[in-house]
Formats: sequence, C-alpha cells, structure tokens
Amino acid sequence: MPPVIDHEKCTRCGKCVDICTEDVFFGSEEGEVPTVTYPKECIHFSGCVYECPVGAITLRVPLPMMLVHKP
Amino acid sequence: MQEQLVETDVLCVGGGIAGLMAAIRAREMGATVVVAEKGNVKYSGCGRAGNDHFETYIPDVHGKDKGAFIEELLRTAKGEILLGRDIFRAQFLKSFDIVKLWDSWGIPMKYKGKWEFAGHSFPGRTMTHIKYEGRMQKRVLEKQALDRGAQIMNRVMVFELLRNSKGVIGAIGTHTREDTVIAFQAKAVILGTGKCSRLYPPLTPGWMFNDPHGGVQSGDGRAMAYRAGAELQNVEMPQRHIGPKYFTKFGQATWIGVLKDPQGKPLGTFVNKPNRKYGDMIMEVNKLVAEQYTRAGKGPVYMDCTDITEEDYQYMVHWMEHEGNISLLDHMKDEGIDFRKHPIEFATYPLRAGGLIVANEKAETSIKGLYAAGDEAYGDISAAATFGWISGENAAAYSEKAKAPDVEEERAKINKNKQLIDRLRGRQHGPDWEETNIALQQIMHDYAGSVRNQALLNQGLNNLLRLKEKVDTQMMARNQHELWRCLEVLNLLDLGQLVFLMGSDRKETRGLHVRPDYPFTNPMLDQAHIIKLKAGKPAIQWRSYEGGR
Repeated sequence: MPPVIDHEKCTRCGKCVDICTEDVFFGSEEGEVPTVTYPKECIHFSGCVYECPVGAITLRVPLPMMLVHKP
Repeated sequence: MQEQLVETDVLCVGGGIAGLMAAIRAREMGATVVVAEKGNVKYSGCGRAGNDHFETYIPDVHGKDKGAFIEELLRTAKGEILLGRDIFRAQFLKSFDIVKLWDSWGIPMKYKGKWEFAGHSFPGRTMTHIKYEGRMQKRVLEKQALDRGAQIMNRVMVFELLRNSKGVIGAIGTHTREDTVIAFQAKAVILGTGKCSRLYPPLTPGWMFNDPHGGVQSGDGRAMAYRAGAELQNVEMPQRHIGPKYFTKFGQATWIGVLKDPQGKPLGTFVNKPNRKYGDMIMEVNKLVAEQYTRAGKGPVYMDCTDITEEDYQYMVHWMEHEGNISLLDHMKDEGIDFRKHPIEFATYPLRAGGLIVANEKAETSIKGLYAAGDEAYGDISAAATFGWISGENAAAYSEKAKAPDVEEERAKINKNKQLIDRLRGRQHGPDWEETNIALQQIMHDYAGSVRNQALLNQGLNNLLRLKEKVDTQMMARNQHELWRCLEVLNLLDLGQLVFLMGSDRKETRGLHVRPDYPFTNPMLDQAHIIKLKAGKPAIQWRSYEGGR
C-alpha cells in the first residue's frame, strides 16, 4: 500500500521518513530502506514522492480512492 | 519515560501557516519562540502541499473605501461568517501587507506580473481572491522562521495546557517517536492546531485518512483550550465540503468547469461553460448539491471541464499543482483520465466537525496569554497567515510584560498526564486508537449526524459517556506512534461530547444542524453559541457576534 519504495533505487537517506506528516514510516531505522509501518494513515499528497532525491518512491492509490469519471 | 523542560516566551502549538507566521512575527518582536509540531513543518497543516488562492483587500484594485469593501463582502460569499465584524475587518486591513511580505519572501503572489483575481466569486460581484503560487509556501515560511531564530521542534504533540489562576503558563507535550514528555514553560501560547478531522466517518467506509484535511488535525487546540477553561463557539455546527470522488481533495474553485447532471445540464445558474475567472459558484452556494441530486435519483453529478480551451486547461493545471493537487494529477495520468475528455464525478463529502476557539481581533482567547489563529479560530490560508501574524505580534508584546512562569506550580497536572501515558503504554490488551476512533465515529454519525432530535442526542451522549468510561480503563498504545493517535482520540472524544451538549441546547434548525423537533431557524439565535468550563462543569450561553469578545 502507499507509498511504495524501490529498494534498488533507494539511497537510504531518510528524507521521506523525516518529512511525512502522518509518520507512516514510524519505526524506520537510520541507514535502512524505510518501512511503511502505517500505510492506512497515508493521506496521498505525494510529499515523499517529490521529496525523494532519486525518484525511488511511487504512490499506490488505494482501490477505494480511485477517481470516478463519466464513462 | 524522560521528562524534558523547554522554556520560551512564546510557544506556537502547530507549525502550519498560522503557527509559522506567528513564530516569525513574535521573533521579530524580540520574543524567544518555540514551535511544537506533530509532524514536520515542511509539510504540515492544510497548506502542506500548497495553495493557490488568497483572500485580500487591495486598495488600488478595490478602492480606498475600506468600509464599503467590507460591507460588500459581508453581503456576498462571507456573509454567513460566524465571527463578528471586528475580526473580519482586522483580517482585511492586514491581509495585503501579508501578501506583499510573502511575495518578498519568495512565494509568488502575482501571475505574469499582476494581481490575478479568480475563483470564489460571483460573476459581476467584487473579486476577493488572488491566485498565487503556493506549492513551496511551507518551505519558505519554515526558512523565514528559522532565519529569525525560532526553534522548531518537529514530532512533538502538545496535548494539554498549563495555567494558573491568572493565565497560561505553558503546556505538556509528548514526542511522537521517543518516550519523552516535554513540559513547556511559556509566557504565552498560540494555538494554531488546525481543523478537526476524524470525528465523523469518512467518505470511504473504514478509510479515515481519505480526508482532504489529512488525518493529523484532530481538534487538539480546541479540546485543550476547552479543558483549560477557554470559550469555544458553535462546536455543534457541522460542515461539509464538495470535491472529486473518491480521491478527496480540496480546491473546488481551481476547477474550470461546470457542475452538470448526467444529461449534461448545468446544475447551477452562474456559468454554463468553463470560465477561468469564476469557476462554478453553485458548489459554494450549496455544497450538498451532489448528494441532493443523487438522493433525488438525478445523480451522479459531474464536474465537466470538457469545453475548456487549451489555454485555460494549461492555466487550470498550473494552479492545481500549486493548490496541492499534484497527487490527483499524477493519479489521473496513471489512469488515463483527462479533464478535456472526461467529466469527473463530484461528491458532497461527509459531515465533519465545525466550531472554533473564541478569539478576538487581537487573536486573544478568553484566557490571559492564550491566543488562537488559523482554522482553530478563523480559517482559510489568508486568514491563517494574517491572524498568525497578529497573534505572534500580540503574544510577543504580552510576554514582554508577563511574569516569569513556573510550570512546577502545575506539577500535579504534569504527573497526572505522565500517569495517563504510562497507563496507555502499559496495557497489553484492549482497544487501540483506531477501534476507539471508529466507535466514536459511529456514535457521531448515528446520533449527531445529518438529522438530530432530543431523544437521539440524549441517547448519543449516553453512548459516548459509556465509550469514554471504557476508554479510560482499556485503551492501549503499542508504541509512541499509537500513543500520539490515542491522545488525538481523547481530544476527539471530548469534542464529540461538546457536540451533544451544544446540539441539545440549540433548539432550532440552522444550516447542517437539522432538528425536526425544532424545524425552524430562530432569528433570535443569530448569535454566537458559546461553551466553557465553569467550576468544572460545562456552561453554555448565547452572545452577540458584535460585542463582548
């Protein structure tokens, strides 16, 4: 669930852990790939996505939040 | 558990737009300042991901007659504001100074070299909102606060105020990642803690963080202000918003389109094709319109931007990015959804908590040394910025004359709160914050929801008090993160209780407070509905908007 971290790209800088308002990365260890401990508390504003210096984070929008459009 | 003492002249609780502006101004005035923020000020508050509209009075544009401008506004979009004229006036007289400051700090307030008025206005009426490029606004304000020497403490939740018989002397906080309690010793405290999410159920069942305000704003300021004896106003009056379904986001005025029914007929009367200057004001006249259409069998309702010109499309996307809707744009791209091809369904979002901390035009609350700004007192980004500034200025001036406080006067209260934390952290079994929050939302929805009456309110209050008893002896937090959430839920439980008390006392139907047992609006109650603790018990009164604040 959101956010999704690409382990290959992640440089373990911890920027996403530092800035997340809801602290979904709580419990992440310094120097490790961050852990998405509380994915349901993500508020989907993409702060981490744009903060990541190497583009290692994508936001997976949960199924119930899919935008609805006229067919 | 560690205990840390932090001394400061001015404590800003919450580092959103109001909190940072307060910190900046209080430092300029020479006060020492600490900002305590639950998350990280870089991305906290309603302005976390940006904003694109700022309400202001510009004499060169609107004319020099301030009085006429304010009267015009009171008649139009802001006519229903529940604040009183003095506060309204203070906001408009100061807001343009703030606009110029922000522009000089690097938040671009002009578009192509000019003030660009658009959105939130009726065709033909006075335009009140300028467009601005606010995507990086929190970064800019953080830098300004740090440059002036404010101390920012991220990951600290302040959850209780400390006061003596004369006024406020500080606050108690907890670190959200480490087992540390912080006693703040402060001459003045500014509450800039934002809105109140999570009291009512979300749009997506069970998914309470699908909320345009985010989950972190849990009415902490108003709850602790009330417990400390400050006055709150209109807590029982709920609010609703409208926006894209199901990706809940703000910024309806940024959409350049027309709200239409499934047959393509416009719902409203203001625009019939996309208009970059006005948007579709029908959503602001009646945010319930999407729900009403659906219930009447005439839905769904779509925001239709398909007639937009390419130039206006580029303009809209530009402002969407600044309004904080970049994740919505990314999602649309991923899903192949295009404003120019697809009408987007809009929904009326669920009920949410209203109410505010009573504060005057100087941002003073009813407790000496306690100030409130932003959504806790007068919301939207422009008012948060302006009243943040005003609160910082007045809190700093107050702190200069205030006696040095001593939190040890309130040692018993500090210890009591440390024991509360020990109990929450010490339990091995029991409901966690989420289970408790869901139980609370269920009560609020069923007994203080879109239709209320005395029997429902009585039953709901009884249910809530039973829930509170259980929570007192059973709620548990597995770690500091869950502790923080538990403390938020305790605030929400207190605010829920106030909704029942004040909802029972408001014996009329008004706005979204719908009581079939009192079906008419009572014009005698065109007043502020105020609650405060008096000798430990809630006392409710009505007071004219124009006096006594």
